[in-house]
Amino acid sequence: MPRNTNVSRRQFLQSAGSLSSVAYLRLSGPALAMLAQAAHAAKSESAPYRVLGSDEAADFEAIATRIIPTTDTPGAAEAGVIHFIDNAFADEMSDQLDAARDGLAEFNAALNDTGLAETRFSDLDAASQDAFLHTQEASEFFELVRLMTIFGFFSMSEYGGNKNHVGWDLIGFEGHHGAWTYPFGYYDAE
Amino acid sequence: MPSSVTFATRDAVDFVVIGSGSAGGILAKELSTAGFDVVVLEQGPYRKAADFTHDELSVLIRNELRGGGPELHGQTFRHDENETATMPGTTPLRYARGVGGSSVHFTANFWRFRPLDFKERSLLGPITGTNFADWPITYEELEPYYTRVDWEIGVSGAPGPFDAPRSKPFPMPPMPIKSSGVLLERGAERLGLHAQAEPHAILSKPLNGRPGCISCGYCMFYGCEVGAKSSTLAAMIPLAEASGHCEIRPNCIVTRIDTDDSGRANQVIYLDTDAKEQAQATKAVVLSANGAESARLLLLSENTKHPDGLANSSGYVGRNLMHNSHAVGNGVFEHPLNDYKGVQVSRIIHDFYETDEKRGFYGGGGIDARPLWSATPIFHVLQGMPPDVPAWGADFKNEIAHNFTRQMSIVGSTTSLALDSNNVTLDPESKDAWGRPAIRATYRDHPDDVSMARFLQDRAMELFDAAGAEKSWRRSITPTNGGEHLLGTCRMGDNPATSVVDRSHRSHDVPNLYICDGSSFVTSGRGQPTMTIMALAFRAADLIKAAAANGEI
Repeated sequence: MPRNTNVSRRQFLQSAGSLSSVAYLRLSGPALAMLAQAAHAAKSESAPYRVLGSDEAADFEAIATRIIPTTDTPGAAEAGVIHFIDNAFADEMSDQLDAARDGLAEFNAALNDTGLAETRFSDLDAASQDAFLHTQEASEFFELVRLMTIFGFFSMSEYGGNKNHVGWDLIGFEGHHGAWTYPFGYYDAE
Repeated sequence: MPSSVTFATRDAVDFVVIGSGSAGGILAKELSTAGFDVVVLEQGPYRKAADFTHDELSVLIRNELRGGGPELHGQTFRHDENETATMPGTTPLRYARGVGGSSVHFTANFWRFRPLDFKERSLLGPITGTNFADWPITYEELEPYYTRVDWEIGVSGAPGPFDAPRSKPFPMPPMPIKSSGVLLERGAERLGLHAQAEPHAILSKPLNGRPGCISCGYCMFYGCEVGAKSSTLAAMIPLAEASGHCEIRPNCIVTRIDTDDSGRANQVIYLDTDAKEQAQATKAVVLSANGAESARLLLLSENTKHPDGLANSSGYVGRNLMHNSHAVGNGVFEHPLNDYKGVQVSRIIHDFYETDEKRGFYGGGGIDARPLWSATPIFHVLQGMPPDVPAWGADFKNEIAHNFTRQMSIVGSTTSLALDSNNVTLDPESKDAWGRPAIRATYRDHPDDVSMARFLQDRAMELFDAAGAEKSWRRSITPTNGGEHLLGTCRMGDNPATSVVDRSHRSHDVPNLYICDGSSFVTSGRGQPTMTIMALAFRAADLIKAAAANGEI
């Protein structure tokens, strides 16, 4: 039915802002129930990843962890963003898993070209990771992982990330509470 | 829930209403409760309040309520006819699909027009190169129907210093003031402006069996889970179905309106839920599919008697598209606003509503304060961050953590001038998911529209300073690439050579075809059109009922 696959794959990013042409969610309607089920199945920390290999998962998680690092507050690691990413590649983005794997391979190849042969991104220390990521900021692969990290950190926990609402707690968003009574903030309470 | 009555396609019903949104939902309710047999053809699904979620990925990113993106509708866009239209990643003309239409996911700002909006051409004189014109009706004629919207659809609010006269008070007080409203008031006082309560199509108290708002904060882009937002889904459709004369058929894609040898509409062709072609016989048609879809359907319905499209002897079908221009300023304050809670807007400023020739350009607009990007987390991160913040890392994280609860926007909404060159046509190549020629939007804001938006953006930045913002920023205003407000494409007028429908919404060319939605607008108002779409629909229903009583339908 889509008459132009490239356009439809770009759709998400451009609708979300003036970003690159990285692909994200296909538009097949709400799949929350399916994802929630899958996330539930993969809920325990020891659960194996659904589609990602352990090396791949380590790299994706390492990148996500630099995008939203752990500071004095939880970051992407504590939010379980990697499970969001794994779920997405298992379900809605399954058609993009191969391209993402190619992107990761190129990403690590670029790292190897810096003189670090046989090294994966996840092997580096945080400072080295940050230095390398600055050289990759313009790549579609980095933008893809950046967006998936944002989604995994801030979307409903049912998708597999934002574990225990750590993403929402970080920013003071009490979105899981549902209904509110006035006053809401400092200035309307004054 | 299936409709309580069903009609056979081969037996002519009294009316087929195409579209169940702000206008169609009201017309369906008004005509069916008056005893006419009505079939409503709605292109989207039949969701109920319980189906609406707070799922930002699904609603905002995956366009759940819009049914999808470009791969679904195939819309193309160009700024003018010298450009080749292309299919952008962002849907150019944006609307919800589903029973209740875009009234389900709208923000629910419900400003009435003022008397001047209907006769500004007479007040100001012509504007060269535009189709700037008076409406054939006045505020006074529409006022009783605005009041019906207040009371039957449900509008909360309080009178403001510049408001048009009203025959009856608001049925309920405004929603309580939020921090963004307090700060807008603070800025306005220091600048000598007048902040007033926002009229909102959201119930502050129970009305007509519907509950009041629970302040969940998911209004803009989302469906209301309790039915406190005054969509036609919540306020009208249940009454239409209870009449026993109205069948709602969701997931029905209308492909054309047929006319008989005498030139009257006699059946509506559509693809049903199973994509099977059906033909619903009817005595009359009410087209309320929105300012993009109504125009396209008329163009798709060309036949030998109507070679340029149905109801298009004037060539005005699809022309004069108006979006309203918009201006946004953003600011962060010292303390948390938590503006993501509750409805979007609690205070507005209407000091700049009228055209002021001293500004040097045509136009007027209104200002409101709202969380906007800071209503939900992902939207905030993708759209709402200041320009000087890195895209990742600890500073990125800290900025989100600091700003999300402290940020708000001041939004200006303006007039749009009607132009021949801004229009909806059929794309010569692109098709939608059902094989219909796709909508091609051609649109470039008139320079005065852009000037007005910039003027309001300057005021927004002054308001942030006056209110004591820690930090404020804006993006420069450029011609828009589309919009949610779909106005003017089947203009109302007395002259059949320069309009599509008459003052009763009856098409000049086809006596039993009525067109009522945003397409009927002659001018754009100041940026919040839905209140007027709904008032027009109540008025059109009365006129259609009267015509039927006279045997004219």
